[in-house]
Order: sequence, then structure tokens, then C-alpha cells
Amino acid sequence: MTTAEEHKSNGIGKDLVVYVCLLALAGLQFVIAYQNIDISQMFSRMLAVACVEAGLAALFFMHLWTEKRGFLLFVAIFTISVLLMMQYGWTDSFRMVSGAPFSK
Amino acid sequence: MSQADLTMEVHTTGLTVGPAFSIPTKKLAMWLFIIADTMTFAACLVAYGFLRNGTPDWPRPFHSITNVAIMTFILLTSSLTMLLGLRSARAGDKAGAFRWTMITAAAGIVFALLHIREWMGLINEGMTLFKNPWGTGLFGASFFSITGLHLTHVTGGVIALLVVGVRYKGGRYNADDIEILGLYWHFVDLVWMFVVPLVYLLNLTH
Amino acid sequence: MHDVAAHAAHHAPPTSFIRKHVFSLDHKVIGKQYYALALVAALVGMVLSWFMRIHLAWTNAAIPGLQLLSPNGAPGGVMTPEYYLQLMTMHGTIMVFFVLTTAPFAAFGNFFLPIQVGAEDMPFPHFNMMSFWVTFVAFLVLMSSFFVGDGPTLGGWTQYAPLNAVGSVAGPGQGAGVVLWAISIALFCVGQLLGALNFIPTTLDLRVKGMSLMRLPLSAWAWFITSCMGLTAFAVLMPACILVILDHVAGTSFFVASNLVMNDQMLPHSGGSTLLWQHLFWFFGHPEVYIAIIPGIGIVSHILITNMRKPMLSQRVLIYSMGALAVLSYMVYGHHMFVSGMNPFSSLAFSFPTLVITIPSSIVVLIWTFSLYGSKLRINSASLFALGFISMFVSGGVSGFFLAQPSIDIMLHATYFVVGHFHLVMGVAAMFGIFAGTYFWFPKMAGRMMNETLGKIHFWLSFVGAYCIFMPFHYLGMAGNVRRYSTFVDDFLQPLIPVHRFITIAALITGAAQLIFLYNLIHSRFWGAPAPDNPWEATSLEWSTATPPPWDNFGGKHPVVYHDPYQYGVQSSVGDYVMQTSPEQVKTEHEEK
Repeated sequence: MTTAEEHKSNGIGKDLVVYVCLLALAGLQFVIAYQNIDISQMFSRMLAVACVEAGLAALFFMHLWTEKRGFLLFVAIFTISVLLMMQYGWTDSFRMVSGAPFSK
Repeated sequence: MSQADLTMEVHTTGLTVGPAFSIPTKKLAMWLFIIADTMTFAACLVAYGFLRNGTPDWPRPFHSITNVAIMTFILLTSSLTMLLGLRSARAGDKAGAFRWTMITAAAGIVFALLHIREWMGLINEGMTLFKNPWGTGLFGASFFSITGLHLTHVTGGVIALLVVGVRYKGGRYNADDIEILGLYWHFVDLVWMFVVPLVYLLNLTH
Repeated sequence: MHDVAAHAAHHAPPTSFIRKHVFSLDHKVIGKQYYALALVAALVGMVLSWFMRIHLAWTNAAIPGLQLLSPNGAPGGVMTPEYYLQLMTMHGTIMVFFVLTTAPFAAFGNFFLPIQVGAEDMPFPHFNMMSFWVTFVAFLVLMSSFFVGDGPTLGGWTQYAPLNAVGSVAGPGQGAGVVLWAISIALFCVGQLLGALNFIPTTLDLRVKGMSLMRLPLSAWAWFITSCMGLTAFAVLMPACILVILDHVAGTSFFVASNLVMNDQMLPHSGGSTLLWQHLFWFFGHPEVYIAIIPGIGIVSHILITNMRKPMLSQRVLIYSMGALAVLSYMVYGHHMFVSGMNPFSSLAFSFPTLVITIPSSIVVLIWTFSLYGSKLRINSASLFALGFISMFVSGGVSGFFLAQPSIDIMLHATYFVVGHFHLVMGVAAMFGIFAGTYFWFPKMAGRMMNETLGKIHFWLSFVGAYCIFMPFHYLGMAGNVRRYSTFVDDFLQPLIPVHRFITIAALITGAAQLIFLYNLIHSRFWGAPAPDNPWEATSLEWSTATPPPWDNFGGKHPVVYHDPYQYGVQSSVGDYVMQTSPEQVKTEHEEK
């Protein structure tokens, strides 16, 4: 099994690097939380960092990077496209407060 | 569900075209479960964001980040110990793999206990599923349902870790099973990376 | 794999009755169980629709026996308006979930997907067994709501908020009825997720040697695409159902706006959004429509090719079209919400992909019609129902062009036009797919042939009857006949009542025609002529094994596939076709690589 061989050939170093990166990014989230910015900006920064974290975890902790490239594409395209199509409803949530779309 | 997933034998045939993507069928099924579970969490988080957007009196009651920071650290570290367990299993170090799996399970238990302690604290402050002292009752509803869903996953994961660890030691499971369970455990960690900023940190008092 | 003992044990067929017929791990038994469940559910749903139709046409007529089902809902056999809505909700829920999802996808898919790819079984037989039994429990939970409290929920199969979330103040059945509904659907989601976890690895991993993806029959492709949709769609509905249950029993208000007054009561809920439920529900709901119809598309293509004795114009384009339908189905879900007070700009964003989705649908229909053109179609019950499927799919689909445009939909959405549209394109078409599949595969499933004469009578009665029922719905809708009314007392609706009476009579006759099918099914099961292994001279793998297939599908052998799935119209030693498993090399015009 090729993946098994790759596991053996790679030292623990890569996992540790990814782990430290994840810790740093998680720490970054807490730094963002204490920044003096408005909530939408805070949200977008946090979401961006969280996506990077998730990407790192999926690629290296869950070994997507060392799987067949086709499998990486299958999982990524399947998941991300369905997740994106879930985002249609947001404008309605803003209208709960302001009543009409983009009324301001 | 994850537990049942790992306790069944895989039905394979010879003379097939071979597994797709060169991964075992069980691993493919775990990935498919993870994709489905992603949608479940995403639906909950979208619902939370939808309601948060549309509610003017959304409370931001969290004062301290200590507890959630410790929880994040523990869960992230447990992912690393999971990887170490897999590494030992692949290297044929059965005792090491068992030890690391149990350490991972212990980390999961500590995480769950810290989580419950936090819940108890919030409940003592007067927060329930439908009301809280700070603002809209939706806050408690979405907080408890999202973190509750996550906690359910952690609990299931811990049980699966214990079962798989013991059975791996007994020789019924092999390194592949450890890896497949690891996928689930990393996924629980991955979800937490979204829950922390969106549910905790965005609701921090300034 | 590693567990040799358990592996070997699995290969031995079970001997006890319970393991053989009840808690069976065999995908074929599970497929038949799903089929039986769908059959029972379809009968219940059909009887409910009879009650509703009779009430619509003759409002004050007593339906004998109905008062026994619900003394309060139908005093003296005449149903109250609320009970009409309760029956309507149950009709919709039963039909959409327990018939249109289970029969073409779970029943036929379970039985034939592993055989068509050449596998011995699904990769996770225990999951498969759980999948059926969870679905079965879900059905029982739904049925139990007939007998609990003030009856089943009246909110429609879409269960719109806030009616679904505020409790019994919203009407009879909105208390315990909704909770049972939500529990049932959440369980159903779990069952179908388990099914999808089996279907996808079966298609990807368990194909026999030579069975490349492009050599899969179209029905196998359809089940594969459907299971990919089910995997993500049901995963969204399940948490939505759990949130509804929380709104009910835990006092949360995810889906109830603040300061809502209902029946002169100020509700304690605060802050939620009714549109949120619709977004979550239809994100599942629209893919669900395609979960119901794509297996039908695959089954019908499979049957038509066999009876046309030539392949479709393009196998590849048909597969891509089904894939495009699946992807687009997630992007169009908001076209169910044009009149829900959704952001008008999102209406535009949903309208465009809705019109785009007609392109792959049209391509599928065009491939069917142009392949049929000039072919010498063998007329039998299966091929007739396949043709009927195309007819219904087109007739129902054409009204989709109208409804896709928000400005027209606003006029038509709350009328019988929409009812006619979705009954034709999703309901009747998918039912015709199920019937076609039954007549085609029954010999393999039961080992006996069905009666062709009865089948043809069944077809013509169903075909004409379905049009008599559902075409007038469109005219009623354009005349402004509102849906979900239990009686038509308004002045402008009075002249339409004769049309409703015509529809009711047609529905009763068409429904009675289904009893012919039921008789045919049961009679043939026990007393039909024994079926040969390959009665239709078909090529795919399910016809290369014995009838009925042995426990491990191919009797310990592993078939090897040499050909594309549909090698018809060639000269070979057995006739005008080459089985996929036949190593025979023949010159053929149709080689699609």
C-alpha cells in the first residue's frame, strides 16, 4: 500500500509542523477576537483562518494530500460545492432586521 | 454510528476492478460519512448565522477565553496523539499504538468534561435553551444545539476509540481501522475549528 | 479482509427464518423488503387520496368507516377541514418519502445495483439491514400519528414554519402529530444515509473485472448519482427536523418569529425565522425531487434500450445529463419559495438555474425520442410504462417552464396548477418508472413472469386515468382554483366543482386499476409461469445469473465483463445481442469508449 510506505518514509516532523501551525492559527483566532473591529470584519477574518485550519487538517492530518489526487478532488469538489450551494439564504437573514433587501 | 461502522466486517470480492482511489472500502465509507456529517454541521452553523444576523439583541456574554482555549488545545493535541497512534500501528508497535489511542480517548474525555463544566457554568448563570439573562433566547438555543451536536460526536468518538483500541490490542482490528477512526477524530477536531470562532469568539464581551 | 472467519461466515447462506426473511443481510431480501414497504405505503397514500377526492367533489358526503379512523376528525364520516389537511399531509409525506424514495431508489437499487456491478453483496450488509429497519420504524412512527392525540399533522409534507413549531395552538395534530412527523422523517434520513453509504462504495469498489464506470448500465449510474445526492440532502433535513423537535419540546424558537399571535394567543416564542425552515427544508426538498425521478430516468432508459434492441444515441450524454440534473438540483431549490416572502433578488438567482435545469432534462428526453425514432420497439408492459414515463415527464415538465419564472409563479403557485405539475412530473412519472421496473425485473426478483395482458390493461387505465386526473388540475389552477382548500364555497369556485367531480371519478377508477396491478403482482408471485434466466434477451449482468439469483448472486463465480452494457442489434451466436459477460467478439457499430 503506497500510503503506508509514505507514512513510514515521512518522519514525525511534518505532523509536528502542521500541529504547530494549527495551534498558531487557533491562537490567531483568539487574537482576532480581541481586535477592535466591527463584527462583520471579525467574522470574515475568523472564517478565513478557520478555512485555512480546516484545509491543513484535512490535507495532512486526514492524509488527503497523500491520497490519490482523484480522491482529493472528489472529496473537495463534492463537499465544497454542496457547502457553497447552501449559502443562498443569507440575504433573507439581513431582511429580518431591515425589512427590505438593501434598504439602507 | 461511527462505532457500528467499525465493528462490521467488510464484504469484499476477489477479481474486482479493485477499490476506487486505491483506498479500502471502509475508508471510503468513512469519508462519505464525513461528507454527510459536514452537511449536518454546516446546516446547523448556517441556521445559527442566519438567526444571529437577523437578531438585533444578540448577546455577547462570554468573558473568559481560558476554558475554550484549553479545550481547543486539548482537542488539537489529541489529533496529534491520534496520528502518533497510527504511526506506531503502521510501524508494528502494537503497545505504542494502543497507548496513544488510549491517550487520545483520555484527551477526549477531558475535553468532554471541560465542555460539560462550561455548560454547567452557563446554566448556573441562568442560560437555558429558550432564555438567558443577556438577550435573545436564540443564543442559548443555537449554542446548546451546536455544541451539543459536537459533544455528541466527541462522546461517540471516545467510545469508538476505546472499543477500537481494545479490539486492536486483541488483534481483531488492524492499523487501517485505527486510521479510519482517526479520520473521524480529526473531523471532530476540524468542526471544532469552526465552532470556536463562530460560536464562542464572535460572542465575546468587549 | 482481516477477519477471515467472519468473512467466511457471511458467505454461508442463513438457515433460520428470521435471518433469512426478516433481519436478512442479503441485499436482495432487503430490496424486496423495501419494495413491500413502498407497496403498503402506496396503498395507504392512495386510499388517503381517495378520501380527499371524494370530499372535494361531494363535500357533505359521508365516507363510511372514516369516523372509525378519527371520531373527531370525521364525525359521522364527513371530514372536517382540518382533517382534510391532515389526510393531505399524510398523503404527501407517505408518497414522497416512503414510496417515491424507497421504491425506485432503495428497493430496485438494493436488489439490482450489486448484481449489475457484479458484486456478491453490498460492502456493509449490516448497515443495509439497519437502513431498511430504521426506515420501517420511521414508517410506523408516521402511521402512529393517526392514532395519537388529535391525529396527524396538518401542515403539508413541507411542514412550513411557524405552524410546525408552535404546538397545538396551530390546529389539530400540530402538537404530538408534528413531533411524530419530525421524528419519523429524521429516522428516515438516517435510514437513507445508511443506504447511501452502501450504494456509493458498491458502485465504486465492488465492480467486477472489466466493469469500467462507462460500462455500468444506466440504471446503475442513476442509483449512484441518486445516492450521492441522498448523502448530502438527507444530512441537511435531519438537523432541521431535530430543530423542529426542539422548538416543540424544549421551547426554543428557531422557526417562530417574535410577537406572533395565533388564535388570539400571544406566543411565548421569540426571535426565530420562518424562512430559515424553508431554506433548510428546500435545500433537501429539491434534491429530493430528483432523488425520486433520477432512478426512474435510469430504469426507463435501461428498459427502453432492451426493448428497442439498440443503445441510446449517447450513453455518455445521458449520464452527464443525469449528473447535471443532480448538481443543478441544489442550486434551484428556492423556486419553491417565490411566494414565501423571500428576497426578490434571490428569486432571480433561483429562476435562472431553474430554467437552466430544463436543458439537461430536455437533452434526456430528446435522446429518448430520437433513439426511439425508427426503432422496432418491443411492446410489453415494461416498455409501455417506460413510454408512459416519458410522456408524463414531458407533460409535467413543460409546466415547469412556466413555474420557473417568478412573475408567473406568483400567480400560479398557490393553485392546482402546481399540484398538477408536481403530480405529473414527480409523482406519476416516478410511479410509472416503478411500474416499468416492476414489470421488467419481476421475473428476476420473484422467479416468475407477470401476466402481460393484465399489465397492458393496467397500463392503459393508468395512463389515460393519470391524464384525466392531472391535466384538468392545470386548467383549474389557471382558473384560480386555490390548493389546500377542503371545500369550494366561493362563488368563483362553484362552477369548477363539476371538473372536480370528473377528476374524482377518474381518480377512483385509476386507483381501482392499481388493484389489477396488485392482483397481478400477488398472483404472479405464487402462480405465474416460471421465468427463464433472461426473458427479455437483455445484456446486463442481472440477466446472466440464475433466476432468482442465488445467495451470492453468481453462484460462487466472479463474472468478467467484456462489453459495453448495451450491445444490441448485432449478429451473435445467441441472437441480436451480446451479454456483457460473453467473451464473444462481434463487430458492432455501437462502440462508445
